[in-house]
Amino acid sequence: MEKKGTVTQLSSIFPAEEAQKASKRVEEAITERQQQLNQIKGFIDDNISLINLVQKLPDETHHNIMVPFGKAAFFPGRLIHTNEFMVLLGEGYYAERTSKQTTEILKRRGKALETQVESLKAIMQDLKAEASFFDATAYESAEGLVEIREDYVDEDSSGTLPTAGYENPDSTSLEVDNRKGADEDEEYERLKLRMDELEREEEEAERANESESSDEDEQTQNEANSTISQNSMNQEVRSSPVEASDVPGVSKDGSSHGDHIALNNSTMDKALELPQDAKKVQTPLSSSNTAFTGSIVEHAHNIGMQLPEQRSGARSSKPVSRFKMQRK
Amino acid sequence: MDSAQQEKVRKFEEFVDRRLKPDLVHAIGERDKVFEQQKIFSDLRRNIENLEKNSVTSLRMRVNLGSEVYMQADVPDTRHIFVDVGLGFHVEFTWSEALNFIAAREEKLARQIEEYTRLIASIKAQIKMVCEGIRELLQLPVTEV
Repeated sequence: MEKKGTVTQLSSIFPAEEAQKASKRVEEAITERQQQLNQIKGFIDDNISLINLVQKLPDETHHNIMVPFGKAAFFPGRLIHTNEFMVLLGEGYYAERTSKQTTEILKRRGKALETQVESLKAIMQDLKAEASFFDATAYESAEGLVEIREDYVDEDSSGTLPTAGYENPDSTSLEVDNRKGADEDEEYERLKLRMDELEREEEEAERANESESSDEDEQTQNEANSTISQNSMNQEVRSSPVEASDVPGVSKDGSSHGDHIALNNSTMDKALELPQDAKKVQTPLSSSNTAFTGSIVEHAHNIGMQLPEQRSGARSSKPVSRFKMQRK
Repeated sequence: MDSAQQEKVRKFEEFVDRRLKPDLVHAIGERDKVFEQQKIFSDLRRNIENLEKNSVTSLRMRVNLGSEVYMQADVPDTRHIFVDVGLGFHVEFTWSEALNFIAAREEKLARQIEEYTRLIASIKAQIKMVCEGIRELLQLPVTEV
């Protein structure tokens, strides 16, 4: 079996030193934000203490204080008009307010500061995630990790793990990507086998059962069910064999099952013809959804051969697959 | 020969960057601080002189409670001022005493400033010398050719 594949050293895409530099830069950004955060928290604390002071001052008519006179001198004096505060609103505008009103102003300021703190924290979270990603990448690329991409080549044997192309002798450092690629190939193999079986079943059903009538209502139901089954196949290639057999169990009449098979078959045929990359299975499946209507009408009399349990072993002389063995 | 010279040049440059320049920055920072102090005291002196001139006995002021929230304050008797004399002490003065003190203080500050200025000048001279040395070392190989 020939597989054309590209083997790329992860270190060529993300050089170790560059990843480390990027990680350092992100860490610097993080420390910057941290400082800003601390500053704003200081402001919040000041605000709170000021609120307390403003609330306590009106308790007395006069307070004896040392009044500052410039930065280096004081006058002994008293605070008067203890309920009147002059608050700076910004841009040289002041407002004369009472103690309660000043408290409200300061509380609103505190809320604005809190929202700033929240946004800063969110930014820091993102930066931290970035930094950890860079760290992980640097570590991996330093370890000599390899990314292997291979085009899927259609094969008839049961999906064997691709043995060519492993450069890294250390098996533990193989990334999940490689394993997933092999597993998806396997799944695709299974899918293909299933499709072949379903085709054969359909042919036999056509031959064997011609007396059953089709229900128009069932067909619309079939459409919905088939769409559902298609979608589920789109999403989880792994569980498709199971779901294909489950969905027909939902619909009531046996005549609907054949429609499922027809739909599935037509879909899967198209899927086979389209580009072989395993990851692109989803697109062909979804693009052929619109063709279902026509095929439903055509195969009006197909009877339920979908369920593996229902099937009486009518097939023979075919390459034995897992699913058939299950049935038997 | 060239490599040895380049080595020397590099060492000189390093010396300048690592020792002399930070020293210069530090000295300038210190001098700025002293400048500020000087300004504070000169402002204070001017204010006290104003008070004396207008015979102001009581003041109405607005005091900053923090975060630009002001409150009215009344100073009934301005004749006694508490002036910061350093080390966390404030001494009660009358106007004339305060003015005397401030004058003495300003003198001291001026002397400090002069010292810092001299230090900064010497550092700058050292930097210039090292740069000249580097230039000499580099020019000689060029002219010899």
